Amino acid sequence: MSAVNEPVLIDVQGLKKSFGSNMVLNGISTQIRKGEVVAIIGPSGCGKSTFLRSLNLLEIPTGGRILFEGTDITDKSVNVDRMRQKIGMVFQQFNLFPHLTIKKNIMLAPVKLGIMTREQASLRADELLKRVGLPEKAEEYPAMLSGGQKQRIAIARALAMNPDVMLFDEPTSALDPEMVGEVLELMKELAEDGMTMVVVTHEMGFAREVATRVMFIDDGEIKEENKPEIFFAQPSNQRLKDFLSKVL
Amino acid sequence: MTFAEQFSQNFLEDSRWQFIATGLRNTLIISLFAVLIGIFLGFLVAIIRSTHDKTGKFKFLNLICKIYLTVIRGTPVMVQLLIMYYVVFVTVDPGKMIVAILAFGINSGAYVAEIVRSGIMSIDQGQFEAGRSLGFNYAQTMIYIIIPQAFKNVLPALANEFIVLLKETSISGYIGLMDLTRGGDIIRSQTYAALFPLLAVAVIYLVIVVFLTYLVGKLERRLRNNERS
Repeated sequence: MSAVNEPVLIDVQGLKKSFGSNMVLNGISTQIRKGEVVAIIGPSGCGKSTFLRSLNLLEIPTGGRILFEGTDITDKSVNVDRMRQKIGMVFQQFNLFPHLTIKKNIMLAPVKLGIMTREQASLRADELLKRVGLPEKAEEYPAMLSGGQKQRIAIARALAMNPDVMLFDEPTSALDPEMVGEVLELMKELAEDGMTMVVVTHEMGFAREVATRVMFIDDGEIKEENKPEIFFAQPSNQRLKDFLSKVL
Repeated sequence: MTFAEQFSQNFLEDSRWQFIATGLRNTLIISLFAVLIGIFLGFLVAIIRSTHDKTGKFKFLNLICKIYLTVIRGTPVMVQLLIMYYVVFVTVDPGKMIVAILAFGINSGAYVAEIVRSGIMSIDQGQFEAGRSLGFNYAQTMIYIIIPQAFKNVLPALANEFIVLLKETSISGYIGLMDLTRGGDIIRSQTYAALFPLLAVAVIYLVIVVFLTYLVGKLERRLRNNERS
């Protein structure tokens, strides 16, 4: 599944981010093409989450540019809210809206942002609930769900906006071990359906089997990126070798 | 005098109960409109303040809000009422009821603002990010996601503030307005019997507060249905 000929969705050029004097991203450049599944791995504090969160400007870069579908979203005159509608995001802590039922969690954004009528959004929500395997939870509140179920709903909520790309920020790190599988399985199905995905993860199995490209970030830089077969079998960067020897 | 005679003298003779009735009506009207002003001002100030804290915008408005909070919370409500009546509205007289409603409303707004702001700040930052990541702008995220949750969290404190407000209106007599307390006091001045009129006034306040507490409890239970039962 080579994506080389697909159009570039996200073009990151020399991305820098510092918090005060603490440089977290030290010039990252990469392109993410349509249909790619990019897994980002690296030691904690390496900047991988900051990189992901920069892609939809939850972190404002201090340098460089991010082109999303050809538009420079770091440009102040660009309507970031409209851009974010096309970039789905799934968080480590799920961040479901606790005051709304599951179905309303999914319907809120499409309805309030005027993308769908209430009826259309309701149909879409039913469809998505079926897809993530939780149609019976429609009228329940997030607090009634297990962690794995919450994360599947969070994925459905992001999908409701029909995004062009989905960002996952350590989606299974807050889950009990027995719930990791159900979330990864859903993400794998998404990938197989052709969704463009950028996934910060500690799940090496997922990176190896599902990703089309694996990226190793350390010290705020991409130290190595490659197809998973080569990435895991023949790592060249010493830091990556050390990292892999610890986690595999 | 027997119990029945005292009762009759204080409430039935010369239709004295009307002082209590009119006073109660005024107290309820002042409280109701002061609460509405308090909620409006409180939410406005809380949103300006928390937006400033989160984004750094509204520097000037934030400063005005801070002055408002400092002055209102730093001076007694009775002094504020007197200033409102004898200074602010010395040339134009909008009526004592309006003066009282404004004074208590503006006073309550300062307390509501800090209660609501603490509620907004207590909502996890992830909720905010989830809203923004779906494409909501700052205001939409506040309206659809943050405020509803914040409101639920601060409801007990808010209810308490309104109960305090209701009882604070008992100083309205200082600007010659006949509220419930003053109504009872007028009866006392006519009959020279303190027990019955003041007891009646106290019981009426108590009944209103108990009733309000009951209503808030019901509302709280309804809003809490999204938590694990």
